[in-house]
Amino acid sequence: MTPLQFETQYQADWDELETLLEQLKQRSAARETVRAERLASLYRRACEQLALARARAYPAHIVERLNQLTADAHQAIYQRREFGFKRLWQLIAVDFPLAVRAHRRYVWLSTAVFVVPLVTLGLLVYFMPELILALVDPLTAAQFEEMYARDAEALGRTRDAGTDWAMFGYYIRNNISVGFQCFASGLFAGIGSLFFLAYNGAFGGAIAGYLTERGLGPTFYSFVVTHGAFELPAIVLSGAAGLRLGHALVAPGRRTRRDALVLAAHESIVLVYGVVGLLVIAAAIEAFWSSAQWIPLPLKYGVAACCWLAVLVYLVSQGRHAS
Amino acid sequence: METLDTVVSAETPEGIAIELRPAGLGARCFAYLIDQLVRFVILYAVALPLSFTGRFGYGILLIVMFLLAWIYPVVFELSRWGATPGKRLLGIKVVMDNGLPITPAASLTRNLLRTADFLPALYGSGIVSMLLRRDFKRLGDIAANTLVVYQPEAAPKVALENVEPRPPVRPLDPQEQATIIGLAARASRLTPERMDELAALAAWVTGDAGRSGPDVTRRVLGVAQWLLGRR
Repeated sequence: MTPLQFETQYQADWDELETLLEQLKQRSAARETVRAERLASLYRRACEQLALARARAYPAHIVERLNQLTADAHQAIYQRREFGFKRLWQLIAVDFPLAVRAHRRYVWLSTAVFVVPLVTLGLLVYFMPELILALVDPLTAAQFEEMYARDAEALGRTRDAGTDWAMFGYYIRNNISVGFQCFASGLFAGIGSLFFLAYNGAFGGAIAGYLTERGLGPTFYSFVVTHGAFELPAIVLSGAAGLRLGHALVAPGRRTRRDALVLAAHESIVLVYGVVGLLVIAAAIEAFWSSAQWIPLPLKYGVAACCWLAVLVYLVSQGRHAS
Repeated sequence: METLDTVVSAETPEGIAIELRPAGLGARCFAYLIDQLVRFVILYAVALPLSFTGRFGYGILLIVMFLLAWIYPVVFELSRWGATPGKRLLGIKVVMDNGLPITPAASLTRNLLRTADFLPALYGSGIVSMLLRRDFKRLGDIAANTLVVYQPEAAPKVALENVEPRPPVRPLDPQEQATIIGLAARASRLTPERMDELAALAAWVTGDAGRSGPDVTRRVLGVAQWLLGRR
């Protein structure tokens, strides 16, 4: 069979397949009229013809047209739909908490790397307040005092920092970016994640120790305790996801490094989804609730206790029976 | 061929190899710069009206900055083009290793790991990774199993309407046939002089070995015509 005969014989099939694929790309009713069996059988035929055309070294325009057709049809037929509320619900109700528990070891390690510097620096600075100046300059230390002063209009921000909405935007941008960086920098043998965890732990501990020593404990703790229920687990989990990446590269086990990394990324990205969710909630609480001075302290602590309990129970037991 | 070509072939369940042509550092750098420009324009377009709304607008602006930095590429890669505006302009797009459209998880992975690619500075790790690999993947692509590829362009159709077909002096194997037809396909894009030079290399198929000139070219094209099936 010469190339021309081949082309004339199958031209009609190719044109039909092309039209079907074109219809599939549209959003309208034309999409609904595409018959799946017809598409699949035309696709398989095109695959056969492509193999023939290649084996017989037919002219480039025929081979490339078939190549293009099969590639497009392949994309249309094998694509996966991962959107929608059902998928989101599955993620919240099952996938995320399961992923947290599947990464248990990393979560514990990450918690330790975060909490140990936090407690250590907290105690050190509490007993030796001058140490705070080794971490931040005097101006920043003074700003922190101003932020948690008893007569502050809104807690957790300097006087000219702005309204709740401005702070909400600020928390979203900063905190989620930090979470992402904590995850991504784990690619370098986990060192980046370890650094972010330890640094944030140490910094937070030092500030807490300093403010407690200055007698601002009540305002400071009532501020951080509620959104901390979401923010602290989120930091720890993004670190755990990063450690997983790093571990896959350092000790890939029986896989190649590349395969181990692909698998690690695939499984740990689920943690990052959850981290985003937790940090958005944390930002909203931090901007609109934690900072409010008019809420009585017992109420704040009560809500905070509920939040901590809810988050921990969710992470530990949600989705148990799903698998 | 093998050592120079960067084509990656992905096999479908039907046993067909789909050819993907990975895009190199140059194209991806340009695409990135264009995307930076687009981000800049969007940011300004949003910032102008928001500047009249005071502190509230400032908060929204920060959220927009966050979205532009992290979510912008994800949204565009998951769109039906599979590419950010910069990539679209350069005719490249992101696909999975097996040629399928990129999944949300993969898109998020490769774009978050941008941070790792950026280190130590100015995409240092990413550039080293891309230069070392045949498929030009940066670290994020390796972890997410994705590939940045050129959108295929249609090959020009062989236009040889007015050439007299003539059989070759001896039967040609498929590779030889493909070469002659490939030459004919390029005829319209080459200068006549260059065409004569190239045709001279194939002149033996018409028994003209060692000669060259417009007549030889014509006869070689005649063989191409015959091979295509016009008799």
